[in-house]
Amino acid sequence: MNAIFFGVLTILSLFIFMNLGKIKASKKQMNRDDRINWGGKRRPNFQQNRARSKIIEGSAEEVDDGTQK
Amino acid sequence: MSKHSALNTFGRSGNPAFTRNFENAETFSQTERMTLDGAVNKTAILLALCFAGAFAGWNVPALAMPGFIIGTVLAFVTIFRSPAKAGSTAPFYALFEGMLLGGITVFAEMQYPGIGIQAIGLTFGILASLLFCYKSGIIKPTENFKLMIFSATMGIAILYFVSFIMSFFGSGIGFIHSNGLFGIGFSVFVVGIASLNLVLDFDFIEDGAEKGLPQYMEWYGAFSLMVTLVWLYIEILRLLMKLRSR
Repeated sequence: MNAIFFGVLTILSLFIFMNLGKIKASKKQMNRDDRINWGGKRRPNFQQNRARSKIIEGSAEEVDDGTQK
Repeated sequence: MSKHSALNTFGRSGNPAFTRNFENAETFSQTERMTLDGAVNKTAILLALCFAGAFAGWNVPALAMPGFIIGTVLAFVTIFRSPAKAGSTAPFYALFEGMLLGGITVFAEMQYPGIGIQAIGLTFGILASLLFCYKSGIIKPTENFKLMIFSATMGIAILYFVSFIMSFFGSGIGFIHSNGLFGIGFSVFVVGIASLNLVLDFDFIEDGAEKGLPQYMEWYGAFSLMVTLVWLYIEILRLLMKLRSR
């Protein structure tokens, strides 16, 4: 009896999985602002950061606020 | 601006299986993209292979140990080497893990007859009910949910690892294997965390299909679902054994 119950549960569950799995999740589930970002962009390392940087390295010059106004 | 802009930029998890950048999908044609149907079909293929392996392991329990070792190596290769190769590694992973599950189920059945079918029924029962809860939006996986599940999963993994190392020195963390209230409570907690990992797998597959990731991600999604199901089955079996031994 025990085996029959759990056997039926297994078959039923697999049937549900095969059918329900192919259906898109509800709008309530899909249209949320707090969804998980699976892209998970990593923090770029220092060398990459430096290569992409728009800062021109060189000697610093004093900026005169008066000339910009 | 998004509430989680910092999270979107830097990510939160250190888990290499989930932190790769899978978003560069523009170069793939429409027919080469991941779909829900494809992921479910591939999960069914992996389940069938796992059952075939379990049949072999059931009849020849000595296959359990090679199944465990090869299955574990294949899992690490799939996660750390390249998800793009999941189509060739995941079927073998399912087959060898099936051998392991068949072997340990024979061992459990010898001690507690009927326990195998109970564990299988409960595993797939949890799979179906959580899939329903996810699809209908009853359970909403968020970044905080992911953080909580990852933290708990890593904590359990570290605890098991420490217990495994201690066992070489004739010691161990007794309570996690005991059939006392604490041991059973611990097993219930682990089963809960393993079950909630299924929700993350569903969300990962759904998200991948929506973003149109490359087709090989169907295999990777099915593989991650299989890893969770194998873990869940083992934990349910352990819990039932503890309950039956009282």
